[in-house]
Amino acid sequence: MKKLDRLDWAEVITLSAFGVRAGVRVNVSGVLPRVLPLLPPGWEKAHRSIVQRLYSLVVAQGCERPGLRRLHVLYADTMQVARDAALDQVLATLETDLHRYTAEATSDVTFLHAGVVGWQGRAIVFPGRSLSGKTTLVREMLRLGATYYSDEFAVVDSSGLVHPFARPLGIREDSSYAQTKYTAERLGAASGVKPLPMGMAVICKYEAGARWQPAPLSQGQGALELLANSVAVRSRPHQTLRRLHKLVRHSVFIQGTRGEAQEAAASILNLSCARNRLETA
Amino acid sequence: MRSRQFPRARMDCLSREFGDDVLVYDLQRDVGHCLNSTAAAAWKLCDGNNSPPQIARTLSRQLSARVDESVVLLALDQLADAHLLVEPEVPVERLSRRVAIRRIGIAAAVVLPLVTSIVAPTAAQTASCLHNLQPCTANAQCCSNLCLLNRCVGG
Repeated sequence: MKKLDRLDWAEVITLSAFGVRAGVRVNVSGVLPRVLPLLPPGWEKAHRSIVQRLYSLVVAQGCERPGLRRLHVLYADTMQVARDAALDQVLATLETDLHRYTAEATSDVTFLHAGVVGWQGRAIVFPGRSLSGKTTLVREMLRLGATYYSDEFAVVDSSGLVHPFARPLGIREDSSYAQTKYTAERLGAASGVKPLPMGMAVICKYEAGARWQPAPLSQGQGALELLANSVAVRSRPHQTLRRLHKLVRHSVFIQGTRGEAQEAAASILNLSCARNRLETA
Repeated sequence: MRSRQFPRARMDCLSREFGDDVLVYDLQRDVGHCLNSTAAAAWKLCDGNNSPPQIARTLSRQLSARVDESVVLLALDQLADAHLLVEPEVPVERLSRRVAIRRIGIAAAVVLPLVTSIVAPTAAQTASCLHNLQPCTANAQCCSNLCLLNRCVGG
């Protein structure tokens, strides 16, 4: 750390998100504005300079010379987490690492790896790992009128309500693994602001050509699926179990294999409507 | 042999009721278990003083349906597999699941006991990983678990 500290840092920001304090410092002026959109949604500037995790971004300077690639390097505390000639790629790693660290370190809320939309005053949650098709399903739901909450994390507070983590959706175009970022507004949808109770959790996997025929899942089985996607269950099991208990109080669980997102999205919203009608009847 | 004759539930696990089911978190192994109503009811009766026939009788009263001892043995078998019972000091002869189900028959009056388990994920496993061609310094950062020349390959 001392070696890093000795470098000249042109720009520094300390931030607080979900009670976690982090810092980002850059050795070149003018780069920080590119970092700000990558910070966790809802972040605020922190006034204290003591942080739990400090990112140091060393941007390569000077001209490229033939045969010599200049690399940008990102450190999380003293650990090198990215090293690349493309600054955009290094910044993408910064975003992923910072969001992951925040999700793991916070005790204010519990993070579940899941997509979330708001629908008729309830949150519909899709727990799932990377590449499980969460974003595709969320995007389709937004097209059908749902409100955007997250394509990455369901953020659950101590009352069991789901808060938005409305970072821009990372959409993979066609068969490419590269993601393009779209805000919900750019996709013609609104972003949620208010915390919502969970109305339904959908456990689904994608299989080309599969027909969506969801089956109900018991509350315990559903909670186990949520537990399997809880970021800090190992470090905070008591808290996670307590919050999951509150989260699932009034919700139903369905599971199934989906083909294309359109069919599943429409069916899920219809089921949610029917359930809401039953509840209000 | 006493452990199997008088099974005892482990007390060092977290548990919460979710509807009819009970979610149990094993703090030592970082494993989560979902016990359905029958398995949960049997587990709660494993206090080291009840034998399987006694558990079957108590369950029959609780569930207002005849619960065969084979159902209890099947539950105990699954609970033992999930390490939710205090381990017997001497290995015990186990009733095979197939034999137990055959004994229970198809006309069981209660839901068959079921214990579903998952290994709790590490934080890295639950968060988004880096995709193809994103810069990395360690395999664990990549969805593909392969960081080659500081770039994720695949995933």
